[in-house]
Amino acid sequence: MNKLFKNNSEVNKSSPVKLSSHHLLAIEGMQKSEIQKLLDRADHFANLDKHANTKYLSGYVVLNVFFENSTRTRVSFELAARRLGAEVINISLINSSIKKGESLLDTASTLNAMKPDLLIVRHPHSGAPLLFAEYLSCSIINAGDGRHEHPTQALLDALTIKRRIGYLEGLKISICGDISNSRVARSNIHLLTTMGAEVRCVAPSTLMPSSLEKLGVKCFNDMKEGIKDTDVVMLLRLQNERMSGTENPSEREYFKFFGLDETKLSMASPNAVIMHPGPMNRGVEIASALADDTNRSLIKTQVEMGVAVRMSIIEALNYSKNKT
Amino acid sequence: MTNTIFKSIKLINPATNFNENVNVVIHNETIINISKDLNLEKFNKNNQTIIYNCEGLTMSPGIFDMRVNIGKTENLKFTQITAAENGITSMAILPNQTPKLNNPSIIDHIKRQSEDINLPKVMVYGAATKDVNSLEMSEIGLMSEMGAIGFTNGNKSIKNSLVMRRLMSYATMINRPIIQHAEDEDLSGLNQASTTSIKGEMNEGEISTRLGLIGIPACAEVIMIERDIRLAKLTGAHYHVAHVSTRDAVNVIREAKKSGLSVTCDTAPPYFSLNESKLLTYNTAFKLSPPLRSEDDRLAIIEGIQDGTIDAIASDHRARSKDTKAQPFSAASVGASGIETLFSLTLDLVHKKIIDINKAISFLTIYPAKILGIDRPSLEEEKVADFIVFDENEPHTIKQENLKTSPTPFDGKKIYGKILATYINGQVAFMNQIFKNKIIK
Repeated sequence: MNKLFKNNSEVNKSSPVKLSSHHLLAIEGMQKSEIQKLLDRADHFANLDKHANTKYLSGYVVLNVFFENSTRTRVSFELAARRLGAEVINISLINSSIKKGESLLDTASTLNAMKPDLLIVRHPHSGAPLLFAEYLSCSIINAGDGRHEHPTQALLDALTIKRRIGYLEGLKISICGDISNSRVARSNIHLLTTMGAEVRCVAPSTLMPSSLEKLGVKCFNDMKEGIKDTDVVMLLRLQNERMSGTENPSEREYFKFFGLDETKLSMASPNAVIMHPGPMNRGVEIASALADDTNRSLIKTQVEMGVAVRMSIIEALNYSKNKT
Repeated sequence: MTNTIFKSIKLINPATNFNENVNVVIHNETIINISKDLNLEKFNKNNQTIIYNCEGLTMSPGIFDMRVNIGKTENLKFTQITAAENGITSMAILPNQTPKLNNPSIIDHIKRQSEDINLPKVMVYGAATKDVNSLEMSEIGLMSEMGAIGFTNGNKSIKNSLVMRRLMSYATMINRPIIQHAEDEDLSGLNQASTTSIKGEMNEGEISTRLGLIGIPACAEVIMIERDIRLAKLTGAHYHVAHVSTRDAVNVIREAKKSGLSVTCDTAPPYFSLNESKLLTYNTAFKLSPPLRSEDDRLAIIEGIQDGTIDAIASDHRARSKDTKAQPFSAASVGASGIETLFSLTLDLVHKKIIDINKAISFLTIYPAKILGIDRPSLEEEKVADFIVFDENEPHTIKQENLKTSPTPFDGKKIYGKILATYINGQVAFMNQIFKNKIIK
């Protein structure tokens, strides 16, 4: 057990977290104490045997509504909900309703009429889950909206770091890659700066969003400089269509300047760890051997922590809704 | 026909620089008397005269709204009626509607269709090119003969430099302006033929970064204006920039005017009243083109209004259905209603002491008329009785539920000033109950 967890009372860990909202739409605006409690509770779930009885939410109905392809996030949410004893229905709306011309709100209100307790929404448009929250009565979790936020990813990343290093405050964390188009980057920036980490963003200038430093981070176009003495190197996925002469000249040029290899990693702190939200492009964002280096790569732990974090959130939203 | 007398009214007539309390008498479609001392016996001959007690009220020429989009949610007559209710007595409509206003017969058709003695006069811009993306100019000479007052591609830029040069050059022969929606659509990601994976959604900056929306850089506006000004210099054309929204654009236009070029511009209430921070909740009522800009840009628009760089204020009305706006921001339609709030938001500049009332009325009446070379409205004896009566200080709150068009970006805004009556050709086009109660006999 690390030093930070010892400071927290066991009460925090053994009871659901009460949040100020019954939705989880974004990390931006969340209180440090709320994030802390969610992470503590998730840490508790992560320590439990996977067959431990955590079925606190029997009869709770979760709709997993995905307007965009996803395997790991959808499965992770489903597992989390099932471990809590909830009933889960997966709905893929990638083409169906949209092609039929139904508006998003009609789709939403149809789903709402089935009286779910929780809607987990992934949507290609920034802000779409906010629209759901505005019109629907059930709880909403944002499972990734456009380029805006992916709050559960940031929480699971934070838990992964805390379990490995022990704390977040004062850590140097470099987020590298396509910051412009990344919801993972935005949620991580908000969460890690709120928790007191020093966040640096490393990207080619074509993929660095305007005025990013106003979010409380330092920006670098030189990766070696950006990961110097850093404790965590967080890589982002670069989509293929951005690598053929649009934002980047080519895949091999990207790897040369922004792909993580041994040489660049040697600039970081000797114990620096590597993270990636997946799915990875080996040989583009990261040298294949580094991705598989179990001493340094936390990529598999991230996936594992996803379930625990999502359990703590689903439980918290149910608890917060009932208490308000 | 009887006479109508507006007793003790403040008459603001920018064309003659007049602002005094007078009595105004109209007969049929004509103003027959404006005087300080009312000769009741003379004008109340057969005791049939209608007299309104207008103390505390103001009369001015009716508004000429020089930029109105007739969208899918409206038909022309509906827009005319709504315009009249909001003090507009004439308006110019953009060519990008269905069908496109790109040939002389349709211009003629629209003019005939909208001819109603008792509704706002409709003027028409012809499409500059045959289709929005076309490289061929439309029959702008023939359209001009049919009454088209200027040429534009509406909400899309005339983007090809050679096409723009030829249009400007040709337009000088017929003495009509070329009106530009100034936006480098490659840069803003709106030319989908030339860009990959981005489509501009709002002003680029910290807020677009926070929201994860694609930014349109402010310079996308001035880049187009700078090019066009050079072409205006080359051709001697009258070039008009629509809905100016950035500081750089105002600066460049100011310089062009100083150098003696025939360059004019207008703006619309969102660009002097609001900034990009309104988008923080993804409210699609604020999804406009050009997008709402930074606070510094907003202040520059106000400076441009004050120093005369900006020539006119138009509604930039582009009403949208609730369905196309109740969408995620990226999927929502672009545009907002404007004709119902143009008057009170322009008057808001007076209440905020940015300009005086004479100036505010000028921005809505004689200034746009001058740009487009049409008769300047003037309230004088023997002139046609096209005017509005309003209360400069009546407080009220703009509420979407009270409006006929949507969405308004000004829902919940407290303002002062209300239209009480609109007269077109001496006929009542609109009159509310407050004014009806002002009748003496």
